[in-house]
Amino acid sequence: MQISKLVGFIAIGSCAAGVASGAAAVRFNRDIRPIFSENCFACHGPDASKRMTALRLDIEDGAHVPLSGDQVALVPGDPAASELYARISTEDRNRRMPPAAFGHDRLSAREIELIRLWIEQGAEWQGHWAFQRPERPDVPLDRYPGWPTNPVDSFILRKLRAERLEPSASASRETLIRRVSLDLTGVPPTLAEVDSFIADMSPDAYESVVDRLLSSPGYAERMAIRWLDAARYADTNGYQTDAARDMWRWRDWVIDAFAANKPFDEFTIEQIAGDMLPDAKPSQIVATGFNRNHRGNGEGGIVDAEYAVEYVVDRIDTTATVWLGLTLGCARCHDHKYDPVTQTEYYELFAYFNNIPERGKAFKYGNSPPFIKAPTRDQEQRLAELDAELASLVEQRDALLGSGASNQVQWEARLADRRSDWVDPMDIALAFPPGATGPDPAEHDFDESGFAELGDKADFSFYDRFSATAWIRPQDPNGAIISKTGHVAGEDNTQSNPGWGFYLVDGRLQVNLVNRWLDDCLRIESLDPIPLGDWIHVGFTYDGTRLASGLRIYVNGQSVELNVIRDEMNQEIKSKEPLRVGRGLGLEYSGRIRRLLLYERALTAGEIEVLAVDRSLDEIARIPAAERSSSEARKLQEAYLNTLGPAAVTRLTATIRNLRRDRQGYLDNVPTVMVMQEMEPRRRTYRLDRGAYDAPAEEVFPGLPAALSARDPDSRLEFARWLVSADNPLTARVTANRVWQMLWGTGVVRTVEDFGAQGEWPTHPDLLDWLAVEFMDSGWDMKALLKTIVMSSAYRQSSRTRPALLERDPQNRLFARGPRLRLPAESVRDLSLAVSGLLVNAVGGRSVMPYQPEGLWSELAGGKDYPVGSGADLYRRSLYTFWKRAVPPPSMILFDSAGREACTVRSVRTNTPLQALNRMNDASYLEASLALALRTLQEAGEDWDERLRHLFRLVTSRHPTGREIEVLTSGFGHHRDRFRNDPQAASALLGLGREPTERDISNPEMAALAIMASLVLNLDETITRE
Amino acid sequence: MSLGYPTDGGHTRRHFFGKSAYGLGIAALARLMGEEVPSGGLAEVPHFAPKAKRVVYLFQSGAPSQIDLFDHKPQLERLRGQDLPDSVRRGQRLTAMTASQTTFPIAPSMFRFQQHGESGTWISELLPHTARIADRLCVLRSVHTEAINHDPAVTFFQTGAQLAGRPSIGAWISYGLGSENRDLPGFVVMVSSGTGRNGQPLYDRLWGSGFLPTRYQGVKFRSNGDPVLFLSDPDGIDRNARRRFLDDLGQLNQFKYNDFGDPEILTRISQYEMAFRMQASVPELTDLSTEPDSAFALYGPDSRKPGTFAANCLLARRLLERDVRFVQLFHRGWDQHTDLPVQIRKQSADTDQASAALVTDLAQRGLLDDTLVVWGGEFGRTVYSQGKLTADNYGRDHHPRCFSMWLAGAGIKAGTVVGETDDFSYNITKDPVHVHDLHATVLHMLGIDHEKLTFKYQGRHFRLTDVHGKLVRKAMA
Repeated sequence: MQISKLVGFIAIGSCAAGVASGAAAVRFNRDIRPIFSENCFACHGPDASKRMTALRLDIEDGAHVPLSGDQVALVPGDPAASELYARISTEDRNRRMPPAAFGHDRLSAREIELIRLWIEQGAEWQGHWAFQRPERPDVPLDRYPGWPTNPVDSFILRKLRAERLEPSASASRETLIRRVSLDLTGVPPTLAEVDSFIADMSPDAYESVVDRLLSSPGYAERMAIRWLDAARYADTNGYQTDAARDMWRWRDWVIDAFAANKPFDEFTIEQIAGDMLPDAKPSQIVATGFNRNHRGNGEGGIVDAEYAVEYVVDRIDTTATVWLGLTLGCARCHDHKYDPVTQTEYYELFAYFNNIPERGKAFKYGNSPPFIKAPTRDQEQRLAELDAELASLVEQRDALLGSGASNQVQWEARLADRRSDWVDPMDIALAFPPGATGPDPAEHDFDESGFAELGDKADFSFYDRFSATAWIRPQDPNGAIISKTGHVAGEDNTQSNPGWGFYLVDGRLQVNLVNRWLDDCLRIESLDPIPLGDWIHVGFTYDGTRLASGLRIYVNGQSVELNVIRDEMNQEIKSKEPLRVGRGLGLEYSGRIRRLLLYERALTAGEIEVLAVDRSLDEIARIPAAERSSSEARKLQEAYLNTLGPAAVTRLTATIRNLRRDRQGYLDNVPTVMVMQEMEPRRRTYRLDRGAYDAPAEEVFPGLPAALSARDPDSRLEFARWLVSADNPLTARVTANRVWQMLWGTGVVRTVEDFGAQGEWPTHPDLLDWLAVEFMDSGWDMKALLKTIVMSSAYRQSSRTRPALLERDPQNRLFARGPRLRLPAESVRDLSLAVSGLLVNAVGGRSVMPYQPEGLWSELAGGKDYPVGSGADLYRRSLYTFWKRAVPPPSMILFDSAGREACTVRSVRTNTPLQALNRMNDASYLEASLALALRTLQEAGEDWDERLRHLFRLVTSRHPTGREIEVLTSGFGHHRDRFRNDPQAASALLGLGREPTERDISNPEMAALAIMASLVLNLDETITRE
Repeated sequence: MSLGYPTDGGHTRRHFFGKSAYGLGIAALARLMGEEVPSGGLAEVPHFAPKAKRVVYLFQSGAPSQIDLFDHKPQLERLRGQDLPDSVRRGQRLTAMTASQTTFPIAPSMFRFQQHGESGTWISELLPHTARIADRLCVLRSVHTEAINHDPAVTFFQTGAQLAGRPSIGAWISYGLGSENRDLPGFVVMVSSGTGRNGQPLYDRLWGSGFLPTRYQGVKFRSNGDPVLFLSDPDGIDRNARRRFLDDLGQLNQFKYNDFGDPEILTRISQYEMAFRMQASVPELTDLSTEPDSAFALYGPDSRKPGTFAANCLLARRLLERDVRFVQLFHRGWDQHTDLPVQIRKQSADTDQASAALVTDLAQRGLLDDTLVVWGGEFGRTVYSQGKLTADNYGRDHHPRCFSMWLAGAGIKAGTVVGETDDFSYNITKDPVHVHDLHATVLHMLGIDHEKLTFKYQGRHFRLTDVHGKLVRKAMA
């Protein structure tokens, strides 16, 4: 017996004998194309390089080309005259197709007979079904008691009729509310919700439950989970060190979007190309994090270009799988073997996603550019408050300055008589030599006094901002001005020799931040050498971005042109070496230095300009105002505002500057999120031979495969718009199918990721098309789509199997019963938290670290272990659990959650002993059992029978049967007696868990009840939505 | 509805299928359920008579230096410090760690090599114990890979692809052959670190099941805490209490099954029973206290320290004795970019004795005849020094073009060497062995035709060896 009888070939017999002439019509797409695709396309399909003859079976014209010896493959109506039929049915191994010589088996008798019938019936060709635009099909008129509630039922019913099957009865109300609650929100109903539904006799009782669920926050969280799988969302970078990244602001965008029921077309456009929308809002840019969720490789030594290609490939594969239901990956290296996508077309798609300013070598730690600040609502508000406060302070100071209450001119006049100078004192980490900030700073003569060692100061991290400026008069073109690193020449260090420094190298100014000299550092140099033997003011600033673009070099107050030698900073620069002036990296400074200042912030260009003013304040003051240079005037002004002016002014200035610093500190803690960005000019895209990064062939330009669209959108934004346009036959079908899978466990097309030639034929093509058209016509209304399906009679059927049905349709592809599915991993855990009362419902935020056995991180990677969280972090819904790709949370992975390495849309359910161990012994579940027992004691009466019933019902949403309560009662008695005899065992069990509760830990009944709680939590039914 | 399911809970899904009121054969119903045959494994596998029943793979993570261990190049001493000729490098890509190095000074091995056994296999002084089993080994000197960095290279060895997402070799084998032991998983992994530094991280996905069902993923046995995650019952629940718990649980699940008829419920019951058995079998397995002193003497003093490579080797033997199909050990720390002479000494000392002991022990127990042993890392190391070459110090960068591994046991031609490299251990001159070839050969030993073990995913029939893989005939007995 063939499974396909039940799914694909209902109208046709299951074996050759059953395929009698005159049987129902054979349809090319349903019946024939899958045979061709599986057996023939490899050599007679889309891949031009593999075709040995002109014969193609993927397109109609290709099947009618003349063959050698005047033969034709297909003579409609006449199998005997058709060479194709002759070649598949011949007994001659040497002539038979597919060729035995290539290791192929012959086609099955049924397949051969189907092809014969198809030719006999006219060999009618159809374009691949999924590439034809869906049309709204007529709704069948079949009826059945209680059916149809809506057209979903009509399509299902028609098929059941054809199969001579009947639908199942409706599920009980208890089952139904549990089912729909778990499906739409991922957590079970409360008992109050169950009771109220059972008591509600109004005809729209069920509908109000559905509406309530769809508008609950749990709905958005539940929908987000599967989207995170598809988007390969995770909290770490995925390769080698697998350090943390921050994409949770994107995750929260997804939750918000589902909560607001953002139409799926907008949802799509914003995630693919929100950054390119006119006047894009920050949230629309955050949305593009979708295509930055791919893994990023920061391993030392990788070839940048290689991974730059992989990221784009990941974007295409993900985007194509999620929206188009196509697996385009094959076309990376050669023309697709099954689907009409050439290799060139693959790289045309590549071009849409290849124009972002990213590197193949990602940062090892944290987000890699491009990324943006993505404040939460609270943070946005706080920043706005700070800005308003700053504006008001600046206004106050301006008013004060303008009021005449302070007269800078008089002040300047007083200055002129007395030797004085000013340097900005804020954030100075070092002034060298001593007294360097005062007037007439001393010079240090290195040739006379040698270098200076200043101890463990200025041990900056590569995340810190810092700057240095100095007056120098070098005598030698090579020398270290200031350094915090070893005194070993860079070239001699291939291993880690961290630090930073400011140097003269062959007369040019160099700044470097180094971990490893050759491949893990920032090194920049002034393009031009500086003159030797003259006093000159030099400086650099670094902004903490880990990028060469975050470094500037200044000469005499002006930013100079730079040569970037290395721009590959990945690991820390903190150094155990002392801070040294005049020495470092094997370079000794010769000449003099004065007023060397090290700042713990990135000085602005204006601030450097002021520091480069050679004249002291009194000297400037003596120059007539009109003759002062702008930087001299500025120096005076800054001195006045900051330090030397009237107290009212300097106080305000200090307040303003402190507030700015606070704002910067606050902003530094605002999370970032990686996003898409366009480059100008556009990065060129080439077809890559064999898909290899180092084998570019001809240049290609953005475009869609011809089989999908006649026109080529010219930008990523236009591509996104095409995805959700009526011109695209796939997105609505693929999305509706995924929603169907979410509710039924299996899609109408089982291969939710593949709607191509190798994908499975839909069991109910009309149903799928109806849902797709309805979805589009509703304005891509996701909640409406879900509501339509869950309101159907089909969805509301009991999941009880009937022997005949189990045999006919074991996988429930005909939907003659309700789907009985083990819950997804997240719900398995969330349910336990919910029914035990531990669940903390809070939406969004940084990922959290609930219980996990010790050592899982450190035993694989060394270093820091998983830092278990505390308090509410232990009890948040599982979609907030920190996802480390190298070591994913075991209780999720054991229950088949997606690995988040790459896009996953197909759901899988396995049933393993490790799941049993997890449910019985994981700290999360033990604690939930204790909490559930306690909750039961608090909520149910004094009677143990009643308590056991209550406990059972809290978890399963239904009353136990008599036999069930017998088992529970007997088990409870057994464990209670045991604990009475062994009080230590009771207190050991009840002492578990991290959160203090008021439980009496020596109580044997309580301990026995905790065991029964664990038992009920372990029931098959508990983790199944019936 | 009653299907006559017995309530003792000790029955498997196979049992159900056998007795099913529906009267279908096991395989037929399994196929109806869209699954493999219930014992695990595919009906058509093995494709032919296997040589090996089990495999133990001693993965040396970080990439051991072939030049200092197996690939003897005495003539290099004359060239010490000279720049590696371009004619040898032939434009081979380098890691970005040394690509901008200005010179590539040839660094001959500091270690003495000798020929060992009747086979006369060259092995360095770093591996004295391995040298003693030379006649049992087939040393592959000409293994090569495409990846040049750890993560992609280890992933390539484990899954046949550089990027994560495909099933691991152990998962493929479990999928094809199922498990031999009903109390233990079919694919077990153990990890260790030695006394050296430079441990590259490992990832759970290296033994994951990729797109195969999760049940085929490797189960990691741990040296700290529970040997298998969540194995131990909490304080307050003893063995009898757990038994009673499972009896009651099975009964309630049985009621549900009687009412709903979903075979998945029976699977659930049997999986809980297997969990219960594992709670006994795993601690018994990991308890080394029953091992005689002679065993510890054989594997070396480290074997008394849980979590060491040596202890894991001893555990591996116990797993193999119990017919666990695929045992994989990962030992970290071979990534010797600098200070190689110091580091490799430690690393060799940590692994040499136990690796050899495992082979010897298996042989003494008659298990080597049907157990395949694989030893090796993810790539090799360069002949030129990374960083400064001094009289007693050098480092070596990653080198994917040639490196050494060894095989022993079932189906292996013992006392042989396969492949040759040029005078610089830089290029292969004879009998290259690609990662895919090694995979094909390992599967072959297990009776699996690597071209036929496929899984359809995303419209493609995937296999471990992609579209490649040739048997390493010269290594096969």
